[in-house]
Amino acid sequence: MASVAGSALSFARPVKATNTNSISLTSARKGNAFLRMQPVPMRFAVCCTAKKETVDKVCDIVKKQLAVPEDIEVSGASKFSDLGADSLDTVEIVMGLEEEFKISVEESSAQSIATVEDAAALIDRLVAAKSSEKPSGKPLE
Amino acid sequence: MHHRLLLRRRGAMPLPSPPQPAPRTPGVAGGRLFASLPSPPPLQSRREVHVWYLCPDELNDHSQLDMYKELLSPSERKNALAMNGPRLQKDAMLSRALLRTTLSRYTDAKIDPRSFEFKKNKFGKPEILWQSDGSSMEWPLHFNISHTSSLIACGIAMDTLIGIDVEEKKRKTVKNILSLARRYFTPSEVDYLAKISDSDAQQKEFIKLWTLKEAYVKALGRGFSGAPFNRFSNQLETNNRIQISKAAKVCNDSDSGCDYLSENWRFALAGLNSSYYMAVCIEDNSRGSENGSVPLGLKVWKTIPFIEDTLVSGTDAVKLIT
Repeated sequence: MASVAGSALSFARPVKATNTNSISLTSARKGNAFLRMQPVPMRFAVCCTAKKETVDKVCDIVKKQLAVPEDIEVSGASKFSDLGADSLDTVEIVMGLEEEFKISVEESSAQSIATVEDAAALIDRLVAAKSSEKPSGKPLE
Repeated sequence: MHHRLLLRRRGAMPLPSPPQPAPRTPGVAGGRLFASLPSPPPLQSRREVHVWYLCPDELNDHSQLDMYKELLSPSERKNALAMNGPRLQKDAMLSRALLRTTLSRYTDAKIDPRSFEFKKNKFGKPEILWQSDGSSMEWPLHFNISHTSSLIACGIAMDTLIGIDVEEKKRKTVKNILSLARRYFTPSEVDYLAKISDSDAQQKEFIKLWTLKEAYVKALGRGFSGAPFNRFSNQLETNNRIQISKAAKVCNDSDSGCDYLSENWRFALAGLNSSYYMAVCIEDNSRGSENGSVPLGLKVWKTIPFIEDTLVSGTDAVKLIT
């Protein structure tokens, strides 16, 4: 059930890119204690545009989890903080994404996600990294 | 001004108009608003927590909602409008109005709800920003807010960090309870849940654990990844005390992620209106000088700010579980 976020866990507020080498995150939405104030190390930075099919799948999972009404649009630009996901919604979304894409999302990576597009870009990266992972099967991230 | 809305009900005490800083939005009669926010009994000690909540679905009067909107800062209004859809926008607005009016109650009506300013700690947890020019008083107030789709709660404590989480008892998860627990909880908590055969009972215990962990993380103020749920256990012990302990396997190897997971916190878990679980967590400053923790004192009010306040703790509406 969708609810306004007043919880410890949620995705980040929109990322402001200050220069190409560092990205600092704007402050957390009220009531969310999710870590977002510290500069994000480059390896977690969201850089490339996500594939459209990834964005669409993420939108579907998010819409289902949050029971978003039909007339409310969810797109790549949608910010998680504005969709009213609380912490339980967020962990369920992350789990749904992990299952759908067969990846593992670290808490610290999830921190840098502000929009649906960011989530899709992270997924694309994790999926690509997984398909080029070492024979030992150890995931790269 | 909307006279008909500023009713005096049983329990509301008329207050003299106090001197106040100039209202941010000229034209709103600050003095009259003050008169309708009666001061609650003060927070007696660091062990006491006061919770004020409102139900957005019950607040639909446009002039009332406009009155609440007037209390917000421009950036709060902007943030509320950025939410996806009218319901979320209304909830976001009410959340700020609840916070501001609640805080005002604890300043002996000396601070107008509109006057509060806020800052974030380095992890993003909101705190009151008191003017440092010495012109206004300060109160050692700490707060935390929690939302469900049907209820917004604001917890207040004096001189101690606080976290609060409210959740609908019947909230259905999309994912299976045990898979959620395995992904996010500690092994001992997974075992505890796995032993519950009735799925409704299991779901309720899951929600109880969730609210407790959430309240702790919010009190710590470091964010979810700053205190991952699977690094600490909340045990509901048979004597009804809630014990928090670091998850042994995860925290024994010098995992710096566990260093600040302190264990000196007090919890209260209650059923609210038979539809919700509410967990409150405050820092325990007693330094173990007492035998076992003295329970946290909890008072709960349902409020329609400026209209009516109802003390619900001490009635059937609030059932302490611990």
